[in-house]
Amino acid sequence: MNETLVTMELGDIIEETRDFLSEEFEVNRNLILPENSLKDTLDLDSLDYVDLVVLIEENLNIKVTGEDFKDIVTFGDFYKLVQKKLSL
Amino acid sequence: MIVKKERIADIIPHRPPFVMIDNLIEVSESRFESDFFIDEDNILVRSGSMEESGLIENIAQTCAAGFGYLDREKEGEPRIGFIGAVSKLELFELPLAHSTIHTIVTPTHQLGNIFLVKGENYCNGRKLLECEIKIVVT
Repeated sequence: MNETLVTMELGDIIEETRDFLSEEFEVNRNLILPENSLKDTLDLDSLDYVDLVVLIEENLNIKVTGEDFKDIVTFGDFYKLVQKKLSL
Repeated sequence: MIVKKERIADIIPHRPPFVMIDNLIEVSESRFESDFFIDEDNILVRSGSMEESGLIENIAQTCAAGFGYLDREKEGEPRIGFIGAVSKLELFELPLAHSTIHTIVTPTHQLGNIFLVKGENYCNGRKLLECEIKIVVT
């Protein structure tokens, strides 16, 4: 596991996630809020989800699967998944 | 060599004149390798060189052959795949007709029926093109 990430607080990870998602998907960072829809905000199609998996792996050093995305609607859901994967 | 040119049509859906792979040299879950001799009358040869689109198609067909071979080993019949997107493409040089290219495909990620692969073609050890392709498998 990424040494830096395990010492980071969830809040820091959320901020980092907002940074890389807004940059990659060219979305206003202020729209990446816990209550907003991940799919709609980032305008994701099925192919984009593969890019998302790669980004998460590269930036957060965690692996996510198609199964993981089944229960994710909002960014808040996504942060819960990250929290679970990093055992924070 | 695990699948020779004469049997390649058994594991890919492409048919002449749009077959851009000869022999499948090696297959594992993490790496596919092929070769291809470029005839001067290949439909993707222009002004004596294979076009960039031919190199991309060669990577895609190497991918199809690799997955097709693995499908045969597991389930029986190869599935059909479609190119969903090509990204991070970098072209270094175009190969001349009458040369043989060597292609390496590395599947890197899978999400359901979508695979992300990295592909590279070489000629005499020189890299020709590299890219990432998203393949949607039916």
